Amino acid sequence: MTTLRRWSAVVREAVATGWAQPVASIVTIVVIAGMCTAVLLTSGRTVGAEQAILGSIDAEGTRSIIIRAEPTAGLDPTVLDRIKQIQGIQWAGAFGPALDVTNAAFPGATRVPVRLAWGDDFQRLGLPNTSSVPGSSVWASSNALDSLGMPDQVGGATTGDGRNFAVVGTLTTPDYLTFLEPLAIAPQTDRVGQVSVLVVVAARPDLVAPVSDAVLSVLAVDDPTLITFSTSENLAELRALVQGQLGSFGRNLVILIFSLTAVLVAAILYGLVMLRRRDFGRRRALGASRSLIIGLLLTQTGILALTGAAIGSATATIALITTGDPLPGPYYFAAVSILAAAVGVTAAVLPAIAAAQRDPLKELRVP
Amino acid sequence: MPVEPPTSFVAAPVGGEVVVEAREMSFGYDPTMPVLSDWSATFRAAEVVAVTGPSGRGKSTLLYLLGLMLRPTSGQILVEGVDVSKASDRARSLLRAHRFGFVFQDAALDATRTVLDNVTETSLYRGASKTADRRRAVELMDQFGVNLRAAAKPGQVSGGQAQRIALCRALLNNPRILLADEPTGNLDAVSSDLVITALHTQAATGTTVIVVTHDPALVARCDRRIDL
Repeated sequence: MTTLRRWSAVVREAVATGWAQPVASIVTIVVIAGMCTAVLLTSGRTVGAEQAILGSIDAEGTRSIIIRAEPTAGLDPTVLDRIKQIQGIQWAGAFGPALDVTNAAFPGATRVPVRLAWGDDFQRLGLPNTSSVPGSSVWASSNALDSLGMPDQVGGATTGDGRNFAVVGTLTTPDYLTFLEPLAIAPQTDRVGQVSVLVVVAARPDLVAPVSDAVLSVLAVDDPTLITFSTSENLAELRALVQGQLGSFGRNLVILIFSLTAVLVAAILYGLVMLRRRDFGRRRALGASRSLIIGLLLTQTGILALTGAAIGSATATIALITTGDPLPGPYYFAAVSILAAAVGVTAAVLPAIAAAQRDPLKELRVP
Repeated sequence: MPVEPPTSFVAAPVGGEVVVEAREMSFGYDPTMPVLSDWSATFRAAEVVAVTGPSGRGKSTLLYLLGLMLRPTSGQILVEGVDVSKASDRARSLLRAHRFGFVFQDAALDATRTVLDNVTETSLYRGASKTADRRRAVELMDQFGVNLRAAAKPGQVSGGQAQRIALCRALLNNPRILLADEPTGNLDAVSSDLVITALHTQAATGTTVIVVTHDPALVARCDRRIDL
């Protein structure tokens, strides 16, 4: 008999045995399902909340570093070429001083600041490739367009001293540039000009501090005292704190629930083995090896545990959806289900060994 | 000498050769109070041997020793000429599954499974085809008059039927050695007669039948008697 056929025979026998003992099987399934549900409704909910909080912290621009330079500080756009060499940066852009413009068609209308902008990835803001457009072309956010009175997103804009710009489209303001709103930028293809604001976005929250240090070291300004910088490092620390505390709470809760369930399952299975000791004694007498009996019980428990885990996960999902709580994600569900089945099987090891040790003579003799 | 697990059943030649042998075998649950001391005997193919004696003399213990469920504290047990007294648990289990058939005093059926499942229980232990074994099980159940409906459970049959079902289970692997512990202990005369006849029928195919019994009717129909 091939190994596969043998295992398939063991699985069939495990299923048949489980089916023939409905009460014991249902009790095992209910305990495992209860464990899964409890874990998902407690720590799973915590994980869901943690992910929601972290998502919202990330959305606020946790990873941005903002450097402001006085006009005489000497910060120029070539700093971007040096920043490009630093690892761990997702995006970088430099902006010149604000040039107040008004709609050329309505002199005296609301002023909007236009900034010359340097960077290699303005597509992220919804702009087309700007490498061949004139430096006087402006893309503006919807706020800026409203202020300029350009509902068609195109038009002419002029500064007080007669410098003209052509507003050619709209842009989407990302979280890390909202402080520049109303935002209107004129992308430049050369690296010539004066930078007043430099924005760098780190690839991960934990990289904010080292990336800040690295960026500050490559600024190459004439007067460092004229530079101020702000990071969302505190927010990154808060993020780490939230992640650490909620994560630790969730982990401890999972360990506690799984441990209690393992003890419960082991106790139930041990009790069932004791009730069925004559059955195991007979199996031994008729030729079942110890390893076969252990394998049979572990397979049976594994099948019941997987069934229980599936039922528990489904129940928890329905409960979380019904209450409107955040779901922890499919990987968490899968991990909890697999862990629950593993806990069930592990808890069955000692009872299975006890079952395999049944003495046929003791169990089968009739006084 | 370790025993290689048998991979298939080989039909036994009928000819009275020694199938099971105990050589100066001793056993005791308490080392200071041996149940058996330097006990020797041979059991041949196609014979029905009754083991008798007062309660507490070790009849069942002897049966379980010969059935490789207990290990002698000293001495040897030879099955088909091979010393198996020191064989591994796996080898002894496989020998039990392939070469032995067991009938217990109270049938020892699994009440949660169907009668057919009970008869084919050893298929898994032997690694045999369940389909082929089910066919043979139905034949045996026909032969012993216990071909009940497929879903019948042991709780729905009489004591005599239960013992015959246990006999079907023991004969499913066409054993070389059939061990029976008080197989007629709880049966009426008619059922006892059926069981005794079945044991003789099996012995006629070359199986060594060893029966622990207090039943004079059974003892009288055995080929040989060993008193403990």
